[in-house]
Amino acid sequence: MTGYIIRRLGQAIVVVLGVTMIAFFLEHLLPGGIARAIIGSRATPQQIALFNKANGLDSPVWYQYWVFLGHLVHGNLGFSYKQNRSVNSIIANDLPRDLMLVGTSLVLAVLIAVPVGVVQAVKRNRGWDYAGTAVSFVLYSMPSYALGLILIGLVAIKFRIFPAIAPQGASVGAMLAHPSGLVLPIATLTLVTYALFSRYMRSAAIDSLAQDYIRTARAKGLSEKLVLWRHVLRNSLVPVTTLVGLSLPAVLTAGLVIEQLFNFQGLGLEYFTAATTYDFPVMVGITLLVGLATVVGNLLADLTYAILDPRVRY
Amino acid sequence: MNFLKVVGAEPLPREHGWRRRTRVGSTLSAVVVAGAMVLTSTGAASAGGPVYGPSTPLPAVGTKIQGGTVSVLEGPGATPNYIFPFVNAQNCGFQNFGMMFDLMYRPLYWFGNNNSPTVDYSYSVGNAPVFSDGNKTVTVTLKNWKWSDGEPVVSRDVEFWMNIYFAERGTSDVYCDYTPGYFPDNVASVDYPNSSTVVFHLKQGYSPTWFLYNELSQIVPIPMAWDRTSLSAPAPTPTTPNLPDLTKKGAQAVYSFLNGLAKNTADYAPSPIWSVVDGPWTLQSYTSTGEATFVPNPDYSGSPKPTISKYVELPVTGDEAILDYARTPGPSGVQVVNLPDEFLPQVSSLKGEGYQATNFTTFSFAYFPLNLGNKIFGPVFRQLYFRQAFQHLVDQPGWIKKIFGGFAAPTYGPVPLAPANGFADSFETQNPYVFSISDAASLLESHGWKDVGSGETATCENWRLCAPGDPAAQGLQLKFNLDYQSGAVTTYEEVSDLKSQASKVGINLELTTHPFVTVISNAIDCGPGSTATAAQCKWTAQDWGAGWIYAPDYLPTGESLFLPGAAANFEGYVDPKATALTRATLTASSASAETAALDAYQNYIETQVPVVYIPTATGDIGSGNIVLTSTHLGGFTNNLFSQLTPETWYLTK
Repeated sequence: MTGYIIRRLGQAIVVVLGVTMIAFFLEHLLPGGIARAIIGSRATPQQIALFNKANGLDSPVWYQYWVFLGHLVHGNLGFSYKQNRSVNSIIANDLPRDLMLVGTSLVLAVLIAVPVGVVQAVKRNRGWDYAGTAVSFVLYSMPSYALGLILIGLVAIKFRIFPAIAPQGASVGAMLAHPSGLVLPIATLTLVTYALFSRYMRSAAIDSLAQDYIRTARAKGLSEKLVLWRHVLRNSLVPVTTLVGLSLPAVLTAGLVIEQLFNFQGLGLEYFTAATTYDFPVMVGITLLVGLATVVGNLLADLTYAILDPRVRY
Repeated sequence: MNFLKVVGAEPLPREHGWRRRTRVGSTLSAVVVAGAMVLTSTGAASAGGPVYGPSTPLPAVGTKIQGGTVSVLEGPGATPNYIFPFVNAQNCGFQNFGMMFDLMYRPLYWFGNNNSPTVDYSYSVGNAPVFSDGNKTVTVTLKNWKWSDGEPVVSRDVEFWMNIYFAERGTSDVYCDYTPGYFPDNVASVDYPNSSTVVFHLKQGYSPTWFLYNELSQIVPIPMAWDRTSLSAPAPTPTTPNLPDLTKKGAQAVYSFLNGLAKNTADYAPSPIWSVVDGPWTLQSYTSTGEATFVPNPDYSGSPKPTISKYVELPVTGDEAILDYARTPGPSGVQVVNLPDEFLPQVSSLKGEGYQATNFTTFSFAYFPLNLGNKIFGPVFRQLYFRQAFQHLVDQPGWIKKIFGGFAAPTYGPVPLAPANGFADSFETQNPYVFSISDAASLLESHGWKDVGSGETATCENWRLCAPGDPAAQGLQLKFNLDYQSGAVTTYEEVSDLKSQASKVGINLELTTHPFVTVISNAIDCGPGSTATAAQCKWTAQDWGAGWIYAPDYLPTGESLFLPGAAANFEGYVDPKATALTRATLTASSASAETAALDAYQNYIETQVPVVYIPTATGDIGSGNIVLTSTHLGGFTNNLFSQLTPETWYLTK
């Protein structure tokens, strides 16, 4: 297992570097010039030349990437062209808050989807199942943007139960000091994520319930409770584990819509803003982070399989 | 000032930018530039033109109270993030001026208060400049103001600014409004005869109005307490000898030190450097999300003194967040909101929640360029008849009514018509190219185009008429690309209508859309003398949904727009008469001569249509078309250059 982890981490480094390389070179293919995008349309040729020189943009792209790697080795992701702060500080500021917001939503979605999926599987084709399915389909088909607007319109504006604006604190602690502001953004993300997870959980649980080992467990006299939560649940978690693993990079950037709706400064919006303003250092930095999250997420999923299924060995 | 908003890929509908200047001049007689309206144009623009927003403070209900906190929303993607007033091009966004350092460090001259594009000496550190010696000598005296560290604001502070400016020329960190050949290159020397006087000796005589509005406007006195290269060094005073700024190398070192501090936003407040202010406000706190809190500077020498006890700028992530704030907490929590275009239908319900809505404007005009230097279509675009015909296709009244809901000003030339001002003459209030398909068709047909209005794409059947001097135009079809910014509803509707109207005269516009930065990046000057490559000059028309705001070149002359090689001459317009008229506005010897020169320039540019004029959306800071202010917020006035003046505001109960 240790060797497997080491091999996977080695692969992760190669994959992440590959991702940054592709992103780096693709960004430099974008039409228009970085200098004019950053300085503005009033940029004089002299200013453009000076900007390019000051930021190394007059060097060949491969050399720019080499310099980037050199900085990366020292943990320096560069300096934002537009935001007047380092990419490291942008990530350091936004990542914990994103993890808190989207991570909480992910955990809640799993905690709700798993038991609901099992219950639906047990009571399939009956009232509870139909009701659960209807709710899942409605939520799954609804874009997060639309769901968020509905919640804002009803909960925040009409009935004034929770605020529409997320807590504006710069730190996780400052945000947690105003929990009411977290309800609607977390609820929006959770509901959309839950819908997908519950469908997978239901399908996996139905599949498990049909297996011979379940019949055997029941024949041995185990209580239905034990059958469900010891045997069905454990074996049904594999596909959900895959989903959760694949969701890890989404934790970092999928909150874009939520961030815009609820005035929450996160990495999703940072990346989008950087992309539309040609703020390349931020784009590359976040791309690297997402790449890292992708490989780590997959690794964690694979390791979880081994925990869930003793037959899986690396 | 460049700013972008991000809402589902929707940049701001207008671009604000700092501009560069070129000019020539001649020796002129002495004149004192004084008064709020230095130009008295015959036939002021108010005749028949709309007036946007009141010039007097907005009314408030209730009784005035002392203290309280007033919050305003920053623009999406327009968080103030740079505190050092000597700002380079990269950080030259409006938000850093009006929402950061101009609140704390007063510029030498202030413009735009109360809906007027003119100088406001009551807000300025400097008294009206005196011009002499054929307008080659400019004497500026300073008011008796103080910095918050107790030191007086003196000529040495102006010298400090000028020394850094001189030293940083030719570097990437030069002041963002610098253009080679202009200020301070046009200054032969500067004397500081006493602590309250600065004397500029110019290389030639310039128009006093122009020099005040477009050159002296760049000066911000900065405190001597900043004239050091480390925080451990003791804070200098105006009388400290041998300070680093007195040499070029030393000035660069000081700039490098201060710029380095400005890159560390975490240490903006408290700070021994940035806390030395002469403006009405001082920064109390600044968070990593961009929330800035200001409190009154008790040592402010100017007036009015702030009434409220705290002024807060709140960051927003997008247009929806702006509406959210307007709804909850609403006017009790956010007193000033710039409502984006798409929420205009919500105005009436927001009024019911305690806001009043006003359509303020900025001193700007909207347009988009055709590439007069395009290899294939340039010879056609360079013909006046074609530009006239194309301008006839712009249905300004229709766009103002249907696209902007009435919240836009007609734009016929380079001088804004809204609000009514003394710079636009009566000629500019009239549209020489009213929306007319028949006029457009007639122009094209009489200049060698066939299949005009037949449903086909017009084709040139006589190059000598279509594009004199360009035989390659024979058989050319009027089918070219118009690239516009993505995500902006108003821009989309404009170009869609334009395409429809153009098709009626055989002009086949191929619409493509790209992000704002791509569109502005592609609009490159391909005119004579341009170093752009053939690939870069393939563009034909670029509409970034933006225009030009006259800040900090407050006088609406065209040296940055229409002179050959000017930074914003994207279309590559070259016209000897236009050049001469533009340069004349920089060197007029008196206020009346400036009026005449400005009239001649704007009238010519209006008729020449070097760019396609489109309605100018009203609005103020950030993206808002409508400014919402709490009915319990008094004293709010509009500054035409997006400068905020919260020191005039007060809360009521």
